[in-house]
Amino acid sequence: MTLLLQFKTGDESYHVDISPDGDDWLLKIDGREAPLQATRGKDGSWLVDTHQGRRKLWVAVQGDERLVFCDGRVHRLRLPDPEHADDEEEISGGPNLIADMPGKVVQTLVKPGDEVSEGQAVIIMESMKMETELLAAVTGVVAQVHVSSGQVVAQGDALVDIDSND
Amino acid sequence: MTTNKSPNPPAPETVTRPIARVLVANRGEIAVRVIRACRELGIGTVAVCSEVDRHALHAEMADIAVTVGPAEPGESYLRADRILEAAKATDSDAIHPGYGFLAENAEFARACADAGVVFIGPAAEVIEQMGEKTAARAIMQKAGVPVVPGDLLPEPDADGKFPAEEVLAIARKVGFPVMVKAAFGGGGKGMRQVESEDKVVAACEAAYREALGAFGNGTVYIERFIEHPRHVEFQIFGDNHGNAVHLFERECSIQRRHQKIIEETPSPALNPELREKMGAAAVAAAQAVGYQGAGTVEFLLGPTGEFFFLEMNTRLQVEHPVTELVTGADLVRAQIRVAEGRPLPWTQDEITCRGHAIECRVYAEDPENGFMPSLGPILLLNEPSGPGVRIDSGVRQGDEVSMYYDPMIAKLSLHGQDRAAAIDRAVTALKDYAVLGVTTNVEYLIAILQEQAFLDGDLHTGFLVEHLPDWGSSRDQDEGLALAVASVAEYDRLQRGLGLSGTPDPGAPTPALTSPWTNLGRFRLSGLG
Repeated sequence: MTLLLQFKTGDESYHVDISPDGDDWLLKIDGREAPLQATRGKDGSWLVDTHQGRRKLWVAVQGDERLVFCDGRVHRLRLPDPEHADDEEEISGGPNLIADMPGKVVQTLVKPGDEVSEGQAVIIMESMKMETELLAAVTGVVAQVHVSSGQVVAQGDALVDIDSND
Repeated sequence: MTTNKSPNPPAPETVTRPIARVLVANRGEIAVRVIRACRELGIGTVAVCSEVDRHALHAEMADIAVTVGPAEPGESYLRADRILEAAKATDSDAIHPGYGFLAENAEFARACADAGVVFIGPAAEVIEQMGEKTAARAIMQKAGVPVVPGDLLPEPDADGKFPAEEVLAIARKVGFPVMVKAAFGGGGKGMRQVESEDKVVAACEAAYREALGAFGNGTVYIERFIEHPRHVEFQIFGDNHGNAVHLFERECSIQRRHQKIIEETPSPALNPELREKMGAAAVAAAQAVGYQGAGTVEFLLGPTGEFFFLEMNTRLQVEHPVTELVTGADLVRAQIRVAEGRPLPWTQDEITCRGHAIECRVYAEDPENGFMPSLGPILLLNEPSGPGVRIDSGVRQGDEVSMYYDPMIAKLSLHGQDRAAAIDRAVTALKDYAVLGVTTNVEYLIAILQEQAFLDGDLHTGFLVEHLPDWGSSRDQDEGLALAVASVAEYDRLQRGLGLSGTPDPGAPTPALTSPWTNLGRFRLSGLG
């Protein structure tokens, strides 16, 4: 049985065919064959025998991401769902500001009708004792400010809507 | 080196305030550390927790856990009244404040004393004196401890404007470059470095506004800015029998915005003569205020070996494990014993330093994204272990890192026979410190430890700005391996979860998949379709 996976990391995309080969694995990464000796450790880690010796890695699943820890580094590999690939654009990079983590609004720096330019600070948020300025992603006019100073917001809450000039 | 006499053997009548139960007014790793020390002493423990911390490690480790309020620290861990109430309700004789929160709150220490509860720390007056930077400075100057040249500014007028000529005269006398500082400040707020005369008045006014807003007191002073200083602090300890000792230094120059990240002892900058001189100054500082308990005297050390009193921290320090590793002392145990009225467990001569220790603070934050805190559940946690490896952690796998508290999730402390061995041990342990789910600074810590200037011991408080200004992960390395293992793990996960043949395996662990079919869109089986 072969499993076909498509991973994304940064701007790169990789196609992986994987099938068990006895106790080992046979991988084809973007068409290149790569046999792999890997076994799951009792502690949930993965032990890989490479020609430079044995390596130990850890893997966790977070939504559509696979997080891999290897020698102090964390690799984030996305396994996008092909059926929903088109939805992605709407989530990020749009003109409206959304809380990317829970936090508290320290100060709103704009009001509806204000003209803002890309990169301009529009709101100051506090999370875990640290203040962060959130910047306008586009140049345009503030349509709506959903929050006020002191308000606690959850991840994904709408903060400020901006009508883009484009 | 000090006036300490041997308290040998300790007379039983010195236990003037026996402690049978300690309430720990803190959370996270430090609460865990204190609870452990109490258990070792056979002392009962009470944890306080906020509503979101009911199942936190510290709350579950204590004999009793009392919920004192909602998640916001101001409504829970900072509520002196509720914490004292909890102490009374649980019949606790003493309160250990840890660090942060109420640890350096003189009013709280006083309220404890008034309520007949032992505050494990120095007297309220000492906390007060040392918390006010100008008063602390004056006391230290009088005790012969060197302080940075500087002077207090006159009061500004009602609009927050300072008399320009007077301010300039002070700045000139102190000598440029100068540092403008808020007397009641902390954490870098109300602090400004000024290089030239034309900018000094504006900087004072800005510091005044910032300090007034942040601390309710705008008193400002100017002092000499020491270029490329090291932050070297001495652990001191006093008892109420007149003894005071130091337990050597900690070098804490690796800081980001005044937040320490890596600490070590001994400092690579001290020779025995300088250590002796600074140690004596630290003990003199402790004696000047009749210090009782554990404290830290912080110094700025200039490149030429000049050192100046910076401030005194009247509490157990985050980085205390490195001192414990090289001296073998148990500082928390000693804190409790001294609070009971016993003399110090060591004389100055009995305190020795063996090998080298380094502490790395593991933060749930993203060094590649402005050190933004990283929140959410810890999906996977593998802590390193082995000889000379100590972990002080406040979290377990499955715990949530919340927005309400400090993002430091653990401290990794290493002991080695010398500095090089301790660094090797730190790098090796960090490479095993797997935290997945929240982003951490583990790779960043490794990068610091491997920087040539760090290996050379060439440290100063601007080290990170100078050497790692735009650090980015080198995750291109091993990406192919990560990809291969992610693929194998995915195959394995699907196979155990639902069976690649399409038959669910009832004996398999519950998979993270809600239904086998909702996820089938993510891959195609070569046999289907």
